[in-house]
Amino acid sequence: MKALPRLLMATALAATPALFPAAVAAEDLIVGFTLDADTLDPANHRKRETETIIRNLYDGLLTRDANMLVVPELAESITQISPTEYDFKIRSGVKFHDGSTLTAEDVKFTLDRITVENAMGGQTSPRQGLMGPVASVDVTAPDTVRITLKEPWPILPAMLPNQQIVSKAFVESVGNEGLATQVNGTGPFKLVEWRKGDAIIMERFDDYYGGAADIPPVDKACVDRVIFKIIPESASRVAALLAGEVHIINELPAFSISQVESNDGTQVMTVNGTRSFFIAMNMEGEHFDDVKVRQAAAMAIDKQLIIDKILGGNAAPIDGILSPDAFGASELPKVGYDPEKAKALLAEAGFPDGIDVTMDTEGAFKDTAEAIASMLTNAGIRTTVMVGEGAQLSDKWRTKGAPKSGDMYFTSWGNGSLDPFDIFTPTHKTNDRGNSAGYANPELDAILDAAAVELDVEKRRAMYRDAEMMINADQPYVYLWVPKDIYGVSKRVTGWQPSADSRINLHDACLN
Amino acid sequence: MSLGKLLERIIQLVPVLLGVSLIVFVMLALTPGDPVQIMVGEQAITAEQEAELRRDLGLDRPLVERFFLFVANAVQFDFGQSYYHGRPVADVIAERLPATIELSLVALIVALATAIPLGVLAAIRKNSIFDRMATVGSLLGVSLPGFWFGILLIMLFAVHLQILPVSGRIGYASEVLTVTGFLLIDTLLAGDIAAFGEALRYLLLPAITLGLPMTAILMRVTRTSMLEVMRQDYITFAEAKGLPRRRVLYRHALKNALIPTVSVAAIETGSLLGGNMIVETVFGWPGLGRLVVESIFLRNYPLVQAAVLLYAVTYVLLNFIADILYTVLNPRVKL
Amino acid sequence: MTDATLAPTPPADSLFRRNLREFRRNRLAMASVIVVLIFVIMAVAAPLIAPQDPNATDLFRRLQPPAWVQGGDWAYPLGCDALGRDILSRIIYGARISIFIGVAVIILATGVGILAGLAAGYFRGWVDVVIGRVVDILLGFPYLIFAIGLMAMMGPGLMNIVLALAYKEWVIPCRVVRGETLAVRELEYVEAARALGAGPRHIMWREILPNILSPVIVVSTIRMANVIILEASLSFLGLGVQPPTASWGSMVSDGRAFILEAWWVSTFPGLAILLLVLAINVASQGLRDAFDPRFSE
Repeated sequence: MKALPRLLMATALAATPALFPAAVAAEDLIVGFTLDADTLDPANHRKRETETIIRNLYDGLLTRDANMLVVPELAESITQISPTEYDFKIRSGVKFHDGSTLTAEDVKFTLDRITVENAMGGQTSPRQGLMGPVASVDVTAPDTVRITLKEPWPILPAMLPNQQIVSKAFVESVGNEGLATQVNGTGPFKLVEWRKGDAIIMERFDDYYGGAADIPPVDKACVDRVIFKIIPESASRVAALLAGEVHIINELPAFSISQVESNDGTQVMTVNGTRSFFIAMNMEGEHFDDVKVRQAAAMAIDKQLIIDKILGGNAAPIDGILSPDAFGASELPKVGYDPEKAKALLAEAGFPDGIDVTMDTEGAFKDTAEAIASMLTNAGIRTTVMVGEGAQLSDKWRTKGAPKSGDMYFTSWGNGSLDPFDIFTPTHKTNDRGNSAGYANPELDAILDAAAVELDVEKRRAMYRDAEMMINADQPYVYLWVPKDIYGVSKRVTGWQPSADSRINLHDACLN
Repeated sequence: MSLGKLLERIIQLVPVLLGVSLIVFVMLALTPGDPVQIMVGEQAITAEQEAELRRDLGLDRPLVERFFLFVANAVQFDFGQSYYHGRPVADVIAERLPATIELSLVALIVALATAIPLGVLAAIRKNSIFDRMATVGSLLGVSLPGFWFGILLIMLFAVHLQILPVSGRIGYASEVLTVTGFLLIDTLLAGDIAAFGEALRYLLLPAITLGLPMTAILMRVTRTSMLEVMRQDYITFAEAKGLPRRRVLYRHALKNALIPTVSVAAIETGSLLGGNMIVETVFGWPGLGRLVVESIFLRNYPLVQAAVLLYAVTYVLLNFIADILYTVLNPRVKL
Repeated sequence: MTDATLAPTPPADSLFRRNLREFRRNRLAMASVIVVLIFVIMAVAAPLIAPQDPNATDLFRRLQPPAWVQGGDWAYPLGCDALGRDILSRIIYGARISIFIGVAVIILATGVGILAGLAAGYFRGWVDVVIGRVVDILLGFPYLIFAIGLMAMMGPGLMNIVLALAYKEWVIPCRVVRGETLAVRELEYVEAARALGAGPRHIMWREILPNILSPVIVVSTIRMANVIILEASLSFLGLGVQPPTASWGSMVSDGRAFILEAWWVSTFPGLAILLLVLAINVASQGLRDAFDPRFSE
């Protein structure tokens, strides 16, 4: 019992901030982040959040600037020898965190590890698919690496920023499992400590070569330390920002914008996102096989009202699958909001009394889905929202051609590269992995296949324009919007801006 | 306690663990949602790559074979690789476990430290204002939805008053050398009092949120059993003999009255561990509960299987500890 | 929980009446019963009481504050949620869900628990061992993980929530019934019934069950309070009732994101849960004091 008063006292002391100030060293830049990294091995993950963290520790051959322009980073230059051959000249004098020097052998080792089957201790890298049809990687000169493709794949440079270079000697000494928790990169920050599930602490790497020559300032990092603090609850993340505990938060909810804006010392930063939201309508089902019903659904939804009210104005409406920022995006015929015409179309399609349908969605989008459902209901498409778990819904809808049940599916598809290839084909090609609508149009399939390997930029652009016109007419989906990524940022932070690929690159960020 | 009884206890563990493993296995197998599809997400993958991935994860084998393989490996403390972390699940769990245990233990200590004195006082001053208030307070404690209360605490102490942190386990100025994984112990081992205080500050709100319902339950139990013991003959007898009331109460009555408190505390600690994930999510506490919930949604089978097994072992162990405490507190009870 | 020294007296109507009188004298408990009744009436008469359609969305009223706060409107006394739905109406309709889940789970669990507990306590031997092991396994399984797993397996839906919660809940009445049965089965009047040639079924249902019912009722009401909170927890983990149905748990859980900007969205349903659960708890405390002699003071 004697321990009790002492414990109570200790608790009381602990609650007194004056005695134990929440010590934050002057130069710790803290990011309140949604999700912990799964692993720190750049070749063994599939998650964007993991990549965001890794990208501050490791650099790649190429990178993107804040405007999504691909520029050389560890490569000094890139030369396309033929449609299937690319030469990368490796920058000299780049140091790994352990002091060793980056060589072409390290680059070859890294790329082999990703592209060769079973190259990671018997397993194949989950990032293999992001590298395209690589046939081989060879060191052709002491400072040059050549990537040879099996067939032309023009988006290779656009996809290469997804890969980061590891040290051959380091991987061979710590092994694949060691690389999951230990870091020896060429990035602006070194790993100090990974408190799993809690925080990843990094410090400035003083021998940093300065980063991409095209992204000034070319120098070592500005802040002493960077900490990614994991705060999954959005209200807690906002609260931590308002309390000054963290300096940057990702996924700021739209309804918190005014709170962050009106708070002294914090501001909101946005950047156009790359994820397209849409509603798949099951074209194999009993209602949505008729284009009139699909058009009616599209007309029943007041996109702009939802963007204004629920998304705080932070989204761009779309009428095709592509984001306005994507390659090949163009002005398309608009499907206006017109519930009366929607009812008329329904009647024309043989449903004068309307139809009863369900709409699947994940819990995170429940609000938006319910708002859409009540709009649809007003226009005679009486919609019940069914919230399901992501895993179950993708089983149900992404069937790759197998028969599917269900009426509508409120979902989205990411397009981090902003190249139509990795959003258009999966969602619209017959039986492809993301074709939730069950859309099958051989003519479109042919265009998409040809556009994927077309080398002439203008021809390729025109092909995607044709493809967008086709889906705009057929309406396999109700195309909704591309939301902006919203960040809450302390006004003490300078030299940082959000980037469209949702990376948080802290190399140039300073804290005043 | 005899060695035989101990052995019997350990043997009793076997069917429980087998049963728990079987249920987890069947449950995961019957749950729609394919681990491979979830892992791959929106990425492009050929049919061959998919088959290979399935083979790598061992998902191409029949369910029965997978189950026996799991049991055979689990006996050797090999629980397989996590689908996501590129490391053995045992490692991943071991990193998260100390945070969960630390939070649960502190919540338990807070609960015991408040519940016992309050319960005893309420019993001694039966039907007083204090007793009534303690009763209502304890009922209030079990009636609050934990996550709602946690959010209210954050709003008050972290956002409005800004005297306690919003989330996390400790600040980042102090570097804590990990020895045990328990920050309160590690900071003391390092002699870093400031860091110890900081760790306590971070612990306070989650521990209160987690411990409150338990405090309420334990207080009720202590009060009831204290009242019951005070009615017993030997207490009346001791008082009649002229022993000071204080001494009778604390020496004789309390010791016996604590027996039910201890057994309830042990069982409640089990549910504390299992109920952690909500508090962990609200307070961004890097514990196991959050990881397990995430893993269920990601269909990270090996991790879920191992974690549930761990929970089951802990539960049995806690009951065992309660039994031992029984004999310590009341030598008349023979196990 | 068992205490063999307190021999339950054979069925006696007068005892029940006396207990009831004692319960009525407990003013706090009576007040709680009234609160519970108000909630029940609210649930039954929801369409008559609710000022608005609980599911009517109006984005122009998104996050509208309560009437007494600037920007509020007395037509929507407690304000509106993220889709502009009336919070008061949703709380009134939500009472249906919370009470239904609480009652359904407890009826289901107590029914199964009584059957299993009676069998285990009366037959003992291998029946007891098997049931005991099943109980051990279920208790060894962390409750929420079990519920999440079941919900993931069966999919969302009100009945599935009830099942997921009841699956483990029966263990508690089962344990109580078993213990009481063990204590009662050797008592004289049971022996007498057995000597008169009554079969096990008759003895279990007619002789034992009526005499052990009060602790079961007490435990069940306490657990009902707990079940209502557990439903809220499932909602928090994203496994609650399907929209647009309002359940208090899902209202609190959905509203928590807005707590900094619109405290009313999650605070009022949170208070509703608190009030109902508190009332049930206080009432069950009174029941316990009145009906279960071992807890009376």
